Amino acid sequence: MDNVYEKLKILADSAKYDVSCSTSGVDRKNTGKRGNAVAAGICHSWSSDGRCVSLLKILFTNKCVYDCQYCVNRRTEDVQRASFEPEELAKLTMEFYRRNYIEGLFLSSAVEISPDYTAERMLKCLKLLRFDYGFSGYIHTKIIPGVSQEILHEIGLISDRLSVNIELPSKESLGLLAPQKKVDGIFSPMKQITETLTERGFLRGPGTMFNNEVMVKEQGSVIPYKSRSKNKELFAPAGQTTQMIIGASAETDRQIVKISQSLYQRFKMKRVYFSAYIPVSDSPLLPNRFTQPPLTREHRLYQADWLLRFYGFTADEIADEKNPFLDLELDPKISWALRNIEKFPIEINTASLEELLRIPGIGTISARRIVRQRKFAAVRFDDLKKIGVVTKRAKFFITCIGRYYGGRDIAPDYIKKEILSADNIKMNLLPADKNVQISMFDIANPALESKNGYLIQSNLDIGNNINNNITTF
Amino acid sequence: MDYLYDGTFEGFLTCVYYHYYNERAAGIFTKDKYQMTLLGDYKEIKTEEDKAVKVYNAIKQKISNYDLKRIYKVFLSTVENKENKMLEYIVLGFKLGPKVSSLHGNATVFAVQDAEKKVGFEVHRLTGLLRFSVMVSQSGQEILYCEVEPDHDVLELLSSHFTDRFKHDPFIIHDKRRNKALIANEGKWYISDFSQDDVLDYSLEEREYRELWSKYFETIAIKERINPKCQKRCMPVRYWKNLTEFLYN
Repeated sequence: MDNVYEKLKILADSAKYDVSCSTSGVDRKNTGKRGNAVAAGICHSWSSDGRCVSLLKILFTNKCVYDCQYCVNRRTEDVQRASFEPEELAKLTMEFYRRNYIEGLFLSSAVEISPDYTAERMLKCLKLLRFDYGFSGYIHTKIIPGVSQEILHEIGLISDRLSVNIELPSKESLGLLAPQKKVDGIFSPMKQITETLTERGFLRGPGTMFNNEVMVKEQGSVIPYKSRSKNKELFAPAGQTTQMIIGASAETDRQIVKISQSLYQRFKMKRVYFSAYIPVSDSPLLPNRFTQPPLTREHRLYQADWLLRFYGFTADEIADEKNPFLDLELDPKISWALRNIEKFPIEINTASLEELLRIPGIGTISARRIVRQRKFAAVRFDDLKKIGVVTKRAKFFITCIGRYYGGRDIAPDYIKKEILSADNIKMNLLPADKNVQISMFDIANPALESKNGYLIQSNLDIGNNINNNITTF
Repeated sequence: MDYLYDGTFEGFLTCVYYHYYNERAAGIFTKDKYQMTLLGDYKEIKTEEDKAVKVYNAIKQKISNYDLKRIYKVFLSTVENKENKMLEYIVLGFKLGPKVSSLHGNATVFAVQDAEKKVGFEVHRLTGLLRFSVMVSQSGQEILYCEVEPDHDVLELLSSHFTDRFKHDPFIIHDKRRNKALIANEGKWYISDFSQDDVLDYSLEEREYRELWSKYFETIAIKERINPKCQKRCMPVRYWKNLTEFLYN
């Protein structure tokens, strides 16, 4: 057991930079001995960094032949190395699962000897878990770039979700920072997964982006809807995802959002994850060890990602050529609305669902509730809060039964100022009383800084960080 | 006239029956929590099954099955004054029919929707936050046991998820706050009174797996991103005392 304890420590530590921990996308009753899966996904815990823990996220081995600059497990890094035996990991997963610590397994790995050698060892462990232990819970498997088609297919038949990490948003950065990984090695497994899902009629795509499209193979074998459920051999029913590192290379937000969009359109990925780069090496090609991870930037990119998947926005609308970086102060939906202020105000009682979704402060649930209530009764401004609309945002962009509630006239500068000052009060950055002058000494006071000032600090650092990144390249 | 009932769902429905066929209810309260007032008149209602069934079916047919489930979930909540919120909703529902649940701006609908959301959210949360321990019975059988102190009375709403997941593992979910437990085996379950004396002994391996989990939990956090505020928002501290990951740290 001591042995397992050490391995768990080393291999979980190496796996923690993988972002995805979702357990969503597949509903399955208990068909084995133990376990099921819930389409909404279940989080089991939250670690002290605030990220949810739902899967046993672990590397099969961290012994790696690659030397990717941004990675903690690169060959030249001096870290403790370990590998699981298939039996050990399968048993550990089962024991954690039945205590309800986890929702399933997220199995990833460094490349030991060769992609195929590693993938076969992983496959052996997954087979043991699914067939010998009768595990019916969630399995997310990371596909190592360059793995053979046959092994990928077999892994897909056992897993619920697959992911191939793109890691760096462009060919140039990949060539610079991960010279042993080939672009083709990343995209061909992605393509294979999408094609297999299309053939089997299981491709669903991200969010509500493709709700009205039928995604089956165009010519030849279109599988009729009914036979889907009888088709017992499931291939990655929860689809595939990928992940990009933010802030390790010079790409703009516009590039990143555009790449996400094309990944959604080309491969119908369920998710594209972003991971703020945390400095793990002294490589001259990367931001130095003292740079803060660009957390606010990552957050804004996720907001942009939601706009793509659920709100009907396109990448060009979110970040246009004039604004290649997202505004760190305002969320991308407000930024878009302020750039397109001539489209507002929108009347709540007559706007279509698509228009409602574009109003800052209105989400997918509240937009649908507005549409539902309108069939029976007009929506008044006082109703909006109960419906779930964030009225302090939305009021600048709407009219309700003909009346505008945003105060003065509808001008971007005025709205931006109002929204920012409301937000700053919330974050304790500015005094709530507008007449009180903010003092330099308050911020310099270390006691205050530890209480309130970490937001200021992190914001500043993020600004510097981006500048650093740009100047480095 | 205030109606007092015995705390069962059937008792509440009987009160609704009397609200319509007898005197209008000014309010519905449980017997043990009722504060008598000088002027207010009150009456204890005996639970009558046939009357309860009548109201039950009327809600199902004249409002909707969805709203019936919604009302039951609110009944399981510990939201203050829930009986009167439910009564108002039922009265409005009989007037408007199934469209009542679409009037999101209505204060009555909002109160019920809000209470339902709290219950539903806690159920979902607990499907993740329950922590079982492997216990051994005297005959040597392994039994999963879990302690929980939920805000709302959610045991039966948790049953279907866990009976399917642990189809072949007998398990007990012990609601310490209400001294009862969900006891399940081979896909069947019942709820019964339960006390601390009924708890079995831990299995030999239990402690080791708890330590492994605690270590994993500690390791998986990225120290450059520490954000306790976010952690506490997602996982309120009141649940922590029953979580394995905090027992050994």
